[in-house]
Amino acid sequence: MTRKTRRLWLVIACVTCLGAAAALMLQAFSSDIVFFVTPSQVEAKPPPADRTVRLGGMVVAGSVKQEKQGETPVSRFDVTDGQAAVTVRFEGILPDLFREGQSVVAVGTMHKDGFVASEVLAKHDETYMPKEVAEALKKSGKWDPRFGPPPSAESWNTMTAQDAQKTKANPDSPAPAATKP
Amino acid sequence: MTHLPYILASYGLFAGLAIALTVNATLRLKTARARLALLERPSSRPPGASSSP
Amino acid sequence: MTASPSLVARTGSLFHRYANPGRFLRLAARLQPWLTGLALLFTFAGLGWGLFFAPADWQQGDSVRIMYVHVPTAILASSGYAALALCGLLSLVWRHPLADLAAVEIGPVGACITAVCLATGSLWGKPMWGTWWVWDARLTSVLVLFFLYLGHIALIRAFDDPQRGYRAAAILALAGAVDLPIIKFSVQWWNTLHQPDSITLTGAPTMSSSMLWPLGLSMLGISLGFAAIVIARLRAAVMESRVRSLLSNPRRRGDAA
Repeated sequence: MTRKTRRLWLVIACVTCLGAAAALMLQAFSSDIVFFVTPSQVEAKPPPADRTVRLGGMVVAGSVKQEKQGETPVSRFDVTDGQAAVTVRFEGILPDLFREGQSVVAVGTMHKDGFVASEVLAKHDETYMPKEVAEALKKSGKWDPRFGPPPSAESWNTMTAQDAQKTKANPDSPAPAATKP
Repeated sequence: MTHLPYILASYGLFAGLAIALTVNATLRLKTARARLALLERPSSRPPGASSSP
Repeated sequence: MTASPSLVARTGSLFHRYANPGRFLRLAARLQPWLTGLALLFTFAGLGWGLFFAPADWQQGDSVRIMYVHVPTAILASSGYAALALCGLLSLVWRHPLADLAAVEIGPVGACITAVCLATGSLWGKPMWGTWWVWDARLTSVLVLFFLYLGHIALIRAFDDPQRGYRAAAILALAGAVDLPIIKFSVQWWNTLHQPDSITLTGAPTMSSSMLWPLGLSMLGISLGFAAIVIARLRAAVMESRVRSLLSNPRRRGDAA
């Protein structure tokens, strides 16, 4: 082995060891690295009332109730991960992206009568869709944003704004490129 | 509600940084080239001629 | 292992072809106008398209336009560090002189790009998520990358003997490369506030093609711009080192005269 080869193997060995160490550490701490807990985790093992947790999930359609206590708006909504649902109470202004069917992360504490949030963060998904296309998909009944993620991009990403305008003007005809949901 | 300030701030930040890096690199290149030319002026040989085979 | 020495030697000789500073300067000087011109063209086209002509997103509205700056800088932050790690490997194993100079020059540019990525992410997060910053796995691992860049910049300049600085920084660059897969897969391994990647190698992009095109253009343009700036700085660095050696070794200058 030349000195260069020896150095190369030395570097490879060091990087491999370091990578393994990092992987093991991440594995060990993975429950602390997650940003939020899901409603079913909270239901299975309720955190103590003095501990701040981040609860993440989807806002259940039709569960949002908003009222005004003096100046501050107070909202109640259910957050679900498909298996369990937790009612969240929040005093304050919700983020712009908040809507039924949206993923949110609520920061707060778990009480007997539900989750009291001090902060609500909106989480958006990785789908990027022009407004007109979304409108057209909703009009044609192919997708309701309150009940789930949008259909796969292949079904609509050839759809242009003009096509979308046409569909919007004439909601009976199906969107040209959109296949069944 | 409009988010225009956030958008403009992002693009402005990027443009400012790109301009700063470009100006910095250009000035360094200019200075280095001028100094090298000054140092090598007495020689009629092209730069690096003594080291290349 | 019988094949490896020849492979190592061949790889070394391939890279050493461009270790000759004169050859590098000639090649880089020829490459520079093309890199700069194409970078300007694609960046202006991509960002202009993104800012003025691309459609607004159905849920994020116009804020989605921050993506055309944020995503290319995020990708470059990672690939810039990968380049730094490659320079570290070339430096440690093959003692490549140009790799050390390149590592000195890539560091600050990469750190700036990472700072822009973090700042634009923050500017995007505030109107969309409702917060400037959260300590989720993706954001934290990119912040770690930023500190790795800063550490590299400091370390490579920390010693009186530049060779020792090069060696130490190369080790840091290689060790820090562990952060790159963590950044990439953080959104899949753990739940995060940051959304998963829209563009993956395995699946179709979950993005309208009317947004994908300007994004691709600005990605190409900004990457070329990164390369153009690094090449320009590297050319300056090679010339500066030649100036230094001419100044510290006046005999050679006398010879030449």
